[in-house]
Amino acid sequence: MNLLENKAIQIANKNIKDKIRHWQYLVFSLGFAVMFTLLFYFFLGREVFQYAFPGMIIYTTAAGTTSAAISFAVDKTSGMLERLDTMPTGRKNLFLGALLSETLMISLQILIMFILGYAVLQVPFKGIFEIFIGFFIAVLFGISAVGIGIIISGIAKTPEIANAIALFYYMPILFLSGSLWPFESAIVFFTPPYWAKQVFLQITVLGDGLFDPLYSSSLFGPTGTAQQLPITLFGGLLVVIAFTLAFIILGIIIFQKKTKF
Amino acid sequence: MSVSKDSIAIEIKDLKKHFKEVKAVDGVSLKIRKGELFSILGPNGAGKTTLVRMLTTVLTPTAGDANVYGFSILTGKKEIVKNIGVCPQVITIYEVLKAEENVEFIAIMHGMTRKEAKEKTRTILEAFGIAGRKDWSKRFSGGMQRRLNLAMSLVFEPKILFLDEPTAGLDPQARRLVWDYIRDLKNRDITIILMTHDMVEADSLSDRIAFIDQGKIIAKGTPTELKEKYGSDNALEVSFINQEDLEIVKNNLKNIPFVVNWSEISRKERKTLLISFQGGLKNLMRLLQQGLIDNIDEVENMKFRQNSLEDVFLNLTGKRLRD
Repeated sequence: MNLLENKAIQIANKNIKDKIRHWQYLVFSLGFAVMFTLLFYFFLGREVFQYAFPGMIIYTTAAGTTSAAISFAVDKTSGMLERLDTMPTGRKNLFLGALLSETLMISLQILIMFILGYAVLQVPFKGIFEIFIGFFIAVLFGISAVGIGIIISGIAKTPEIANAIALFYYMPILFLSGSLWPFESAIVFFTPPYWAKQVFLQITVLGDGLFDPLYSSSLFGPTGTAQQLPITLFGGLLVVIAFTLAFIILGIIIFQKKTKF
Repeated sequence: MSVSKDSIAIEIKDLKKHFKEVKAVDGVSLKIRKGELFSILGPNGAGKTTLVRMLTTVLTPTAGDANVYGFSILTGKKEIVKNIGVCPQVITIYEVLKAEENVEFIAIMHGMTRKEAKEKTRTILEAFGIAGRKDWSKRFSGGMQRRLNLAMSLVFEPKILFLDEPTAGLDPQARRLVWDYIRDLKNRDITIILMTHDMVEADSLSDRIAFIDQGKIIAKGTPTELKEKYGSDNALEVSFINQEDLEIVKNNLKNIPFVVNWSEISRKERKTLLISFQGGLKNLMRLLQQGLIDNIDEVENMKFRQNSLEDVFLNLTGKRLRD
């Protein structure tokens, strides 16, 4: 079978067309990443900015939560989900297609931030290989954000409510995770963004290897008071993977349960 | 009538769906033959949508079962969805996709190759008069969106088609286009389950009709059977130019056996006669001949009100279908 006849690919293709053709959504969601980066560069100054940049990438990637939550909630309330349920589509393809399209959009967003941060604003980094690893970590975190989005869409009755719940989740969690500002507290370990940001930061800025120790949430650099943790970067990466898998599986279970009549 | 098992498209056996205290569907049993156009009529909240959502495997029944093309709705979802097309009442299209993109998407979801999907899409969009539109579906008129909605449920040529108010909101020309297409589908042996409020639509298209009220089937049969069994008498309303003619006609009506009764209605200065009679169009012709043409020269105005499915429902339930 032709790849384009694969149902999940078709669903992803349709989702991407849907996103691209809503040009306001496209401009403002991608523009948000640019605006956010420039604002922080302007207010923090170059030296602090370079340490805060990984946290910013993780923050903007978390916006995937809203996108996925709204996308699924729209299908649910418009009747399209029910229509697809009367076809041999299969929910498996629906989720896979959504994951593919959301991951592609998140990757595009991260790419724009990388170009802006590393190429235009000259944020220092260890090497191209480390940047690739950083990109992978950011995308992985983005997928976990999609999982949370699916959970939210299962609970929310309308796309508007889904949007509100998503904001209600990711605004506090990004402060509590210490991603945007140092936060020395055990709370950070319960938040997915901390792990993604910390591994990303230590690999891309400090050039640490996967078996070097992980540090607490404080930003490195002028204000940093980072404590060494009894876990390596590899362990941290496993935590990110575990969070991602857990959110995706939980998302699918909750969505299935809430949309089964 | 006994029907062989092979000729049955849908067999519903004591199907029930209860939402807490509400008995949305309460013990429905039906057999729908292959190639038949079967209409389900009932007021809002009667249970027809719930019934169809169970048959299309979206809703799980509280009790009972149904076989759709030989597969149980409880265990055969995977097979059933390959054979059915559903056209929902609410227009369910992707608004930023073009008409052909919407239809092709559905075709591929049904397992067609890209080439097949393209060919079938072109054919069906031509049939529905929306081929060649290159703009997004959200820019279509309401009528065109509704036709696209229907085309999406037909592109893969389902064996059973569920149509929920397919012509709601369409102008008369578009409505006729859709009716013609539905008649054409009947000729191609597709079983059609039509849910509609439009009595004229149900009467002119259906092979058989079931009236549903409060979750139960209250009557079923062909449109003619239902009208004969539960309908009202036909009526003819005649206004006369010469008032003397009215008295002549009244005298003649006494001798026509199928005339049930008549009454005079005052319409300004002129008098009008409302004549109720039994039987169909043949009796109408006889009434015109024996009661009017043989005795008077001319009438001012004449209206014929035929016994309708609306009357059937009214007589069965004491309420109008749209109440």
